Amino acid sequence: MAVNLEYVVRETVSNLKRNLSMASAALLTVAVSLTLVGGALLVKKGVDRATVQWKGNVELSIFMNAAASQPESEAIDRQLKSMPEVKNYRYVSKPEAFEEFKQIFANEPDVRESLTVEQIPPSYRVVPREAEQTKIVGQRFEDTAGVFRVSYAKEEVDALVSVTNFLQIMLWGIAAVLLTAASLLILNTIRMAIFARRREVAVMKLVGATNWFIRIPFMLEGLLQGLAGATLAFGVVWIGRDLVQARISGARNDIQLFKQFLVTSADVTSTGILLLVVGVVVGTVGSALAVSRFLDV
Amino acid sequence: MIRLRDVNKTYKGNVVALRDVSIDIAKQEFVFVVGPTGSGKSTMIRLLIKEEKPDSGRIWVAGKDIGQLSSWKVPLLRRNIGCVFQDFKLLPSKTAYENVAFALEVIGRPPHVIKQQVPQVLDLVGLTKKRDHFPNEMSGGEQQRVSIARAFVNRPLILLADEPTGNLDPSTSVGIMRLLDRINRTGTTVVMSTHDSSIVDTMRRRVIELDRGVIVRDQARGVYGVNA
Repeated sequence: MAVNLEYVVRETVSNLKRNLSMASAALLTVAVSLTLVGGALLVKKGVDRATVQWKGNVELSIFMNAAASQPESEAIDRQLKSMPEVKNYRYVSKPEAFEEFKQIFANEPDVRESLTVEQIPPSYRVVPREAEQTKIVGQRFEDTAGVFRVSYAKEEVDALVSVTNFLQIMLWGIAAVLLTAASLLILNTIRMAIFARRREVAVMKLVGATNWFIRIPFMLEGLLQGLAGATLAFGVVWIGRDLVQARISGARNDIQLFKQFLVTSADVTSTGILLLVVGVVVGTVGSALAVSRFLDV
Repeated sequence: MIRLRDVNKTYKGNVVALRDVSIDIAKQEFVFVVGPTGSGKSTMIRLLIKEEKPDSGRIWVAGKDIGQLSSWKVPLLRRNIGCVFQDFKLLPSKTAYENVAFALEVIGRPPHVIKQQVPQVLDLVGLTKKRDHFPNEMSGGEQQRVSIARAFVNRPLILLADEPTGNLDPSTSVGIMRLLDRINRTGTTVVMSTHDSSIVDTMRRRVIELDRGVIVRDQARGVYGVNA
């Protein structure tokens, strides 16, 4: 098939120029749809990462009686040290625990004032080697002298994980729906652009142009529109992520939940590359499909 | 050059376009196809460039059975046939020169051939001075000349003209007919459908008359009306 490059380039450029409004409509459609898809994918990645962190830090807290004696506390310390299932642990003293308590109830002075340092139970925060061992480790301390209560973070994490699992499925669903909508919008826009030029296609067929010869400039045009739209979406997603990230780290919030919601540059880059590939494929294939309708011999 | 054998074509709703049509057209012939609207003239032309397929019967163009032609070879068939229509079918965004050059570009002719052949054929149809005009800046007759130039620039074996003078006044039509006659003299087979009795009567060429899809007359050096 002898397709001369000069013809293809010239034809593509002049078509894009002549159908500027149609071309920009297609481009913007690609950009908007892919921005939404990219945004959904990135939120999903952030949620994934936060979930992994929560899962990795499953801990249990051994709360001592506020009045527990020094030897009772040391006995627990020794026992924790000797247990192979324990990855690491940390003693939270009365003043530290009181600080934590004040932070948690910072907005509720009534609660804050209701307790004194002496009434706060000190505790051991224990991270087991395996999340599954949490219960086994905790049970050993439940009846030990001086222990007030053993509490498992796992229960809360489980609740959190089930919420995030649901959230992830939802985000996948949203991304899939958006992608389908984007593909259809792009296909439709290109089809309209080609419909506006069906005369030209008819004349080309009339004088004996091969189907591939007719298709190639349209496909190249679709490819360029898809690429440009995806690039735009890439940029918007990048800037959007920077803004969100700046908000999260800038705000002096104590909500660990949000700090763990982290989207790395690598995430944005891989999502961006996916967007570019989708843009190019949808643009090219969409044009090929759209023009085929007018090529039936 | 063109041969139809027992060709039948019926459109949806039992509209008969052609019934048992058999025709032989020799090389370098000039043939008028006449008949009222809906008699099957345009269908015949569409069958020859394989824009439509017959329900039955066989068609040969330039020695090839086009029923056997695979669809990717149809463009090659069309390169041997120039087409001219009542509504010109020019691209409004291209100048006269570009419209003609387009026909060569899309079949992959190299630029130096295009630069040489387009001015030649524009000269042949008498439009050298209008080469940079757009279709909407030209008269109907001039536009039809551009369309003939486009059909002929590739030196096809056959030129099909579907009512080429249908939109033109009589004096302009005479010019177009002179042009088609000249192209015929270069060895190109010309098949022209028409309503225009004065043209047919003046030219005195072979006349094939269709009526509701049936050939009712095939006459050498004929005239438009049956009893004339």
